[in-house]
Amino acid sequence: AMAARGVPAEACVGQLVLPGDVLLLPAHPDEDSERLRLGAGAARRGRLLCGPGLRRSGAGLMATKCGLLRHRPAGGGGGGAFWVDSQQKRYVPVKGDHVIGIVTAKTGDLFKVDVGGSELASLSYLAFEGATKRNRPNVQVGDLIYGQFLVANKDMEPELVCIDSSGRASGMGIIGQDGFLFKVSLGLIRKLLAPKCEIIQELSQLYPFELVLGMNGRIWVKAKTVQQTLIIVNILEACEYMTAEQRKEALAKLSGT
Amino acid sequence: QLPVVSVQREAEAQLLPDVGAVVTCKVCSINARFAKVHILYVGSTPLKSTFRGTIRKEDIRATEKDKVEVYKSFRPGDIVLAKVISLGDAQSNYLLSTAENELGVVVARSEAGVQMVPISWCEMQCPRTHTKDFRKVARVQPQFLQT
Repeated sequence: AMAARGVPAEACVGQLVLPGDVLLLPAHPDEDSERLRLGAGAARRGRLLCGPGLRRSGAGLMATKCGLLRHRPAGGGGGGAFWVDSQQKRYVPVKGDHVIGIVTAKTGDLFKVDVGGSELASLSYLAFEGATKRNRPNVQVGDLIYGQFLVANKDMEPELVCIDSSGRASGMGIIGQDGFLFKVSLGLIRKLLAPKCEIIQELSQLYPFELVLGMNGRIWVKAKTVQQTLIIVNILEACEYMTAEQRKEALAKLSGT
Repeated sequence: QLPVVSVQREAEAQLLPDVGAVVTCKVCSINARFAKVHILYVGSTPLKSTFRGTIRKEDIRATEKDKVEVYKSFRPGDIVLAKVISLGDAQSNYLLSTAENELGVVVARSEAGVQMVPISWCEMQCPRTHTKDFRKVARVQPQFLQT
């Protein structure tokens, strides 16, 4: 067995970590992680959050995905957070994620939706705003649905809904006719969903368009003409590998013509 | 003299679970409505071939049956003590129930692969990663525990 010689976590921030790498955390003298606390104890302030791609192992963290290690220093409400920024194209359903799905089957009261995961998600016909047993939503096989996961874990079939917890649609539901659906990597989606994303701002100065981003790597675009739609699709797909300068160059050329 | 043809069955008769018997089973798959299990032991005798059982969502707990979530009670791979409530018809499985304090999950593994420690009737904790998981934990009688 390999001796787990850990590296201090702070030293690895911004560097590549591989699955199995042990990262040591600075020891806190007042933290007694071995003793399991019984009874209700509020989460101590300053507790470190172990984010995606990491797992607690003994006194430190073990990486379970390969990628760059990121750190958010302590501040505000909670303590600091460590996570691994990894790149992947295959989506794994997570509860609460908003995704774009394609309806593949209609069986009685349930729709089967392809979300790009290992299983088809189920969508009840009552999970739309204003849907009742008499007033069914008009969903056909092949329609695009923007919804969020109510149930998503590795042991059960994922369940999609198109309403939020208060019963309102809040932007979810059947995506309209026309437009173009394509797939990108999950890392690009996260970049596009960041607040004040430069790519979206620059593109919106080019042409007006409608955009739906699904956390499962799917993007739906609709602009006034087919040509404009395809141009936006090509730019978004190329954003994966273009630097900011190359992108600005490409957009300048397009708005010039 | 005519040859004699005879059919020989297995040496010992299989012990069949009866209604009201406490059985030890392993969860093989879960669903939003029920959990499917393999029955391994009847009482303390192991079975030569496993039987299939079903634990319905409303039979998991005795109280607050409508608030039960199967995902927060069992996971695939858990070892569960249950009681047989019905033999079912020809095609269906045994119907089991864990609606008692002494019934429920006895052994469960966490995502890290380590056996978890029960901390309450509805929670178990992994000793290595300290993550808490929800299970319907059985309060095993002290005479059946071996340390």
